[in-house]
Amino acid sequence: MFYRQAAIRHTSYDQTKKLYPIPFDKWLVVAVLLVALLAPFAMSGLYLNSYLLPWVIWSTAALSLNLLMGYAGQIHLGYAAVMAIGAYSSVHAMRLGAPFEFALILGGATAMIIGVGFGFTALRVKGLYLAISTLAVQYLVDWVLTHVPAIGGGTQATLQTPTPALLGFEITTDIGRYYLALGWCAVVTIFMLNVKRTGLGRALIAVREKDYAASVLGVNSYYYKLIAFAVSSFFGGVTGAILAFTFFGAVTPEQYSIDISIQILAMVVVGGLGSVLGSFFGAGFILLAPLFLNNMVTGLAEAYDFGVSRSVISHIPLILYGGLIMLFLLFEPLGLAKIYDNIRKYFLVWPFGFSRR
Amino acid sequence: MDLDWWYIGELVVNGANAGLMYSLVALGIVLIYKASGVANLAQGALVMTGGYVVLALAYDAGLPMWLVIPLSMVILFFFGMGIERIALRRMAGQPLIMIIMLTLGLEILLRGIVPAVWDRGGESPIIPLTLPADSIFIGDMLINTSYLLGGVIAIFLVILFVYFFRTRIGVVSRAVSDDPVAAWSVGISVERSIALSWGLAAVVSAIAGALWGSIQGVDWTLSLLLLKAVAVAILGGLDSIIGAILAGFMLGIAENLAAGFLDDIVGGGTKELVVASVILLTILIRPHGMFGREDIERI
Amino acid sequence: MFKKQLLVLMSTVLLTFAGNVIAAKEPIKFGLTLDYTKAYVFATPSFGQAIEDYVKYVNMKGGIDGHPIELLNSDHGNEPQRGIEAYERKKREGAIAFEHLSTPVSKAVLPKAMNDKVVMMQMLTGRADAADGEVFPYIFPVSPTYWAMAANIIQYIADNVKDIKKAKVAFTYLDYPFGQEPIPIYKALSEELGFELKLFPISLPGTDQSGVWSNIRRFKPDYVISWSFAQLHNIAMTEMKRNRIPVDKYISVIWISKNDLKSYGFEKAKGVKRVEGVVTGTDSPIVQDILKTLYDAGKGSGPRENVGLLYYMAAFTEMVTVVEGMRLGLEKYGAPLTSEKLKMGLESLKDFDAKGLMAPITITPADHQGGGKTRIAEWDGSEWVPQSDWNAAYSDLVWRVIKEHSAKYKSGQ
Repeated sequence: MFYRQAAIRHTSYDQTKKLYPIPFDKWLVVAVLLVALLAPFAMSGLYLNSYLLPWVIWSTAALSLNLLMGYAGQIHLGYAAVMAIGAYSSVHAMRLGAPFEFALILGGATAMIIGVGFGFTALRVKGLYLAISTLAVQYLVDWVLTHVPAIGGGTQATLQTPTPALLGFEITTDIGRYYLALGWCAVVTIFMLNVKRTGLGRALIAVREKDYAASVLGVNSYYYKLIAFAVSSFFGGVTGAILAFTFFGAVTPEQYSIDISIQILAMVVVGGLGSVLGSFFGAGFILLAPLFLNNMVTGLAEAYDFGVSRSVISHIPLILYGGLIMLFLLFEPLGLAKIYDNIRKYFLVWPFGFSRR
Repeated sequence: MDLDWWYIGELVVNGANAGLMYSLVALGIVLIYKASGVANLAQGALVMTGGYVVLALAYDAGLPMWLVIPLSMVILFFFGMGIERIALRRMAGQPLIMIIMLTLGLEILLRGIVPAVWDRGGESPIIPLTLPADSIFIGDMLINTSYLLGGVIAIFLVILFVYFFRTRIGVVSRAVSDDPVAAWSVGISVERSIALSWGLAAVVSAIAGALWGSIQGVDWTLSLLLLKAVAVAILGGLDSIIGAILAGFMLGIAENLAAGFLDDIVGGGTKELVVASVILLTILIRPHGMFGREDIERI
Repeated sequence: MFKKQLLVLMSTVLLTFAGNVIAAKEPIKFGLTLDYTKAYVFATPSFGQAIEDYVKYVNMKGGIDGHPIELLNSDHGNEPQRGIEAYERKKREGAIAFEHLSTPVSKAVLPKAMNDKVVMMQMLTGRADAADGEVFPYIFPVSPTYWAMAANIIQYIADNVKDIKKAKVAFTYLDYPFGQEPIPIYKALSEELGFELKLFPISLPGTDQSGVWSNIRRFKPDYVISWSFAQLHNIAMTEMKRNRIPVDKYISVIWISKNDLKSYGFEKAKGVKRVEGVVTGTDSPIVQDILKTLYDAGKGSGPRENVGLLYYMAAFTEMVTVVEGMRLGLEKYGAPLTSEKLKMGLESLKDFDAKGLMAPITITPADHQGGGKTRIAEWDGSEWVPQSDWNAAYSDLVWRVIKEHSAKYKSGQ
C-alpha cells in the first residue's frame, strides 16, 4: 500500500541502480533526516544528550564495524580499542595545538595504521582465530591506556577534551555537538549505502562469501580484507574521537573497555549483518533498551513493593538484555533489519497478500 | 644480577599449578569445540554458575562437602545439556559469528540471573575446601597447596577424559567431531553427542567453580577467567585435551615468571600482556596451536 | 463506593511513602544512582541502605524544616553512558545533588555537573583533586581523599617503627587508577622520610595474588599497605598466612569491613589494621535511634546486620553531612532549595562531626575535603579499635599534590 510500485517504470540502467527505486522509501529517508535535523529544537536536553546523541554516535560505530563484519565478513571483538586509539590520538593532537578537523583525521589515520598493523597478523587467519586475536588487541590497548601515563593521562587516568572548533567556529552548545555527530554519521551512512554499488563493495562481498572462490575470480582477497580493515578502522577511530568530543567531554579507559566492544558487536548482529538500516536499529536497541528497562523496572519496583532487594531488581535489566540477544539470534538471526523488511514486504503488496503465496 | 633459584622454583611451581587450573576452565571450551566446532564464550559464566551452585548447596542447604561436589556435578551436567537442547541446537548451520554471539548472550544472561537468584548482598564467600596445610615450604620455596590441589585434579581429569574417549561413547564422540555428516549417515545421533559434550563441559566447570571459588570467593568475577581459558585453549589447539593441559602449564609458568621479574620494571599488569601476546603470537606462528588439527579448507 | 475505595487506597499509598508525617512543603530531591550489578556490588547494597535509612529517618522527624527528602534511585551498572543518562534524567526530575559511588561514572558526569552547576557528592570515589573547591566548585568529596589516607598511614608507620629511615614499606595495590592513585604521595614521602618503598601491583580483577605475596615475603617489609577492597582482602590474608607473614603488618585502605573478615575468620584476622574516616559500630546515639525507630518497627531498608558496618556508616555519615548542608542552605537562603544554595550551605559547614560519627570537618569554598582527618584502627577479633587520634598528616604535601593535579585539570580545559 504505502510502498506503491504502480506506475514506476525503469527506462535506463541508472534508474534501476538507484538507492531507493520506490518513491515512498526515498520520502521516508528524507522525513527521517528532517526529523533528525529538527529534533534538537523540539527536544529537551535530557532526550537530546542521553538518548539521541549517543544513539547517533553508536550507530556510526556500528555502521563502521558493519563494513568489516557485514560486508567483508571479518569478526572484530576489539572495536572499542580501535575507537580508543582514534580518541586518544586526536585529543593529544589537539592538546599539542592541532586544529580540530586535522586532529579528527589524524585520530582516524592513527587508528587505521595501528588497525592495519594488527590486520597484517590477524588476517593470516580467519573466523574464530581472527575474533580471538582482535580480543587480544583490546587487552593490549587497555594495558597501554592504564600503564603509560603519557598517553592515559597519569594518576587520574582522565584527559579532558579541548573544545572542538569546526572551520574556526567553537562548538560549545549541546545542539552544536549533536550536529557535529550527526554530520559525521551522515558521511559514514552515505559511504556505506554506496559502497555496495562499487567495485570495492562487490569485491568485499565476494570475499565474504568465499575467499577461495573470490581469488579464483581474480579478486585478491588478502588485499581487500586489508582495505576493509583500514577503512573500518579509520571510521572507527574518527567515531571514537567524536564520541569523546561530543558525548563524554573526557577520555578514560573505561569508555573504551571490552564491554563496549561487545556492545557494538551486539548492535551489528542484533541489527542485522550488512544492513545499514539494521545498524541504526541495533544501536538503538542495545544502547537504549537497558536504559528503558532500568527505568521501567525501577519505576515498577517503586510503585509496587516486590519484597525483594534492590540489588536483585537491578539485575533484571541485565537478564532481559542477555535474554533478548539470545532470543533474537534464535528466532530472527537476520536481525531487526529483517523484521523491518518483513513488514515492508507485507505492505508492498497489501491488500493483495495472497499474491505472494 | 644473581638469580635466586629458590624464587624461580617457587614462581615455576605455583605458576604451573595455577596454569593447570586455567586448563580446567579451558577444558570446557575444548570439549565443546571438539564436538561441535563452536567456541563457547560462555564458559566463564558456566564456571561462575558452578561456583554458585556449590555455594548454595554448601551454605544454604548445609550439605557436607563430599556430597556437595558430586551433587553439583550432576546438576551442572543437566544444566549444560539443557543449554544445548534449548539454544545451541536451533543454531545448527548458522554462520559462526551468530553462534559466537549466542554464547556471548548466554554469558550476559547467566551473569544477570545467577547472582540475582543467589543474592549475597555484596559478599563473596569462599568455598570451604579444608586442606591439611596452607603451604608447604621446601627450603625457601613455598608451594601453594590450593593451587597444588587444583593442578592435581586437572591432571586427573585429563587422564579421565583421555580414557573416556576410548570407551564406546567416546569413540562415538570422536566420530562426530571428525565428520558429523559421515557419523550421521552411519546412524550415530550427532545431537546427543554434542549435548553430551555440553554436559561434560558444564561438569568440568562445576569442578573449576569449586576450586576457583575456594581460592578467590564466589562472585561474578569468576566469569572473567574466560580470557585466560581462551588463551590456553588457543595455545594448546582448540580441539586437543592434552594441548589444553600443556598450554595451561606453560602459560601459567610464563605469566608468573614475567610478573615476578617484569612487574617492577613496567609497573604492573604483565600477566595480561603475556596472555595477550601468547594469543597473538600463537595465531601468528601456529594458528592451530601446539596440538590442534590443521584444517584443510575446501571450496 | 468506588470513590471511597480509591481514597483509602490512595491514602495508604501516601502513608507508605511519607511515613507517618504528611509533609506539606515541596520535597528536596537527591539523585542516588549506584552500581548494583558490576564492580561496586561489594559496597553498594549497604551504601544504598544507609542513605535510604537516614532519609526515612529525617522524613519521619518532619523533614528538613518541613521539606521531606526524596531519593531518586537508579542503577548505572558502572557504565559511563548509563551514568550520564541517569544523571540527565534525575536532573530533569529535579535532583539538586547526586551521589554515584563509581569512579568511572563520577568522572564522566563531572564535566556535565560542573557545567550545569549541580552539586555532585563523591565520597571515596572520583577525582581526589576535587578537594580543591576553587577549581571544582560543585564537586564535594567531603571526606578524606585517598592521598590524605595514604599520608596518615605513613605517619602511623613512622610512629610505630624504631627508625623510619631503615623501615621497609610494601605497597600492594589493584593495578588500575583506584590503586595507582596514592603512588605519588608514597614516593614523595619515601624521599622525604627515607624509608624504602616497593610497589607490588595486582592485576585486575585482583583475585590472583599468589605471585605478589611471594615477592613481598622476600622483601621482608615492616608493614604492608594495601589498596584493594572487600573479598580481595580475604585472598591477601590467606596468602599472608601461607607466606608466614604476620597479619598485623597489614594496613588496608578504608574499604574493609567486618563482613569482609567473616569468611577468613574473625579470630584469625586479629591485628589487621585499616585507615578509617568514620566511626563504625552501633554505639553512637544516632545509630541506636535508627535501629529503634526503623529496624525495630520493621521499616529498615535492608538487613539489620549491615547497620554499623563500614560501608553503611560511610554512606550514613555522608548523608548526615548532606542533610546538614541542606538545612544550612534552607536556613540561610530560604526555600526553594537549589543546587547553588546547597553548595553554599555545604560550604558553611563548620566543625561539623555528623553527630559524633567522624572527625569534625570544616568546608570552605577553597577546601571541599574538610580537613581530611582519619585514624588507624585495629581488628581485635570482634571490633575495630582505634589506634590513633583523628589526624591529618603531611597535609602540606597532600595539598601540594592536590593543587598540582587540579591545575592540570584547569589547564586542560
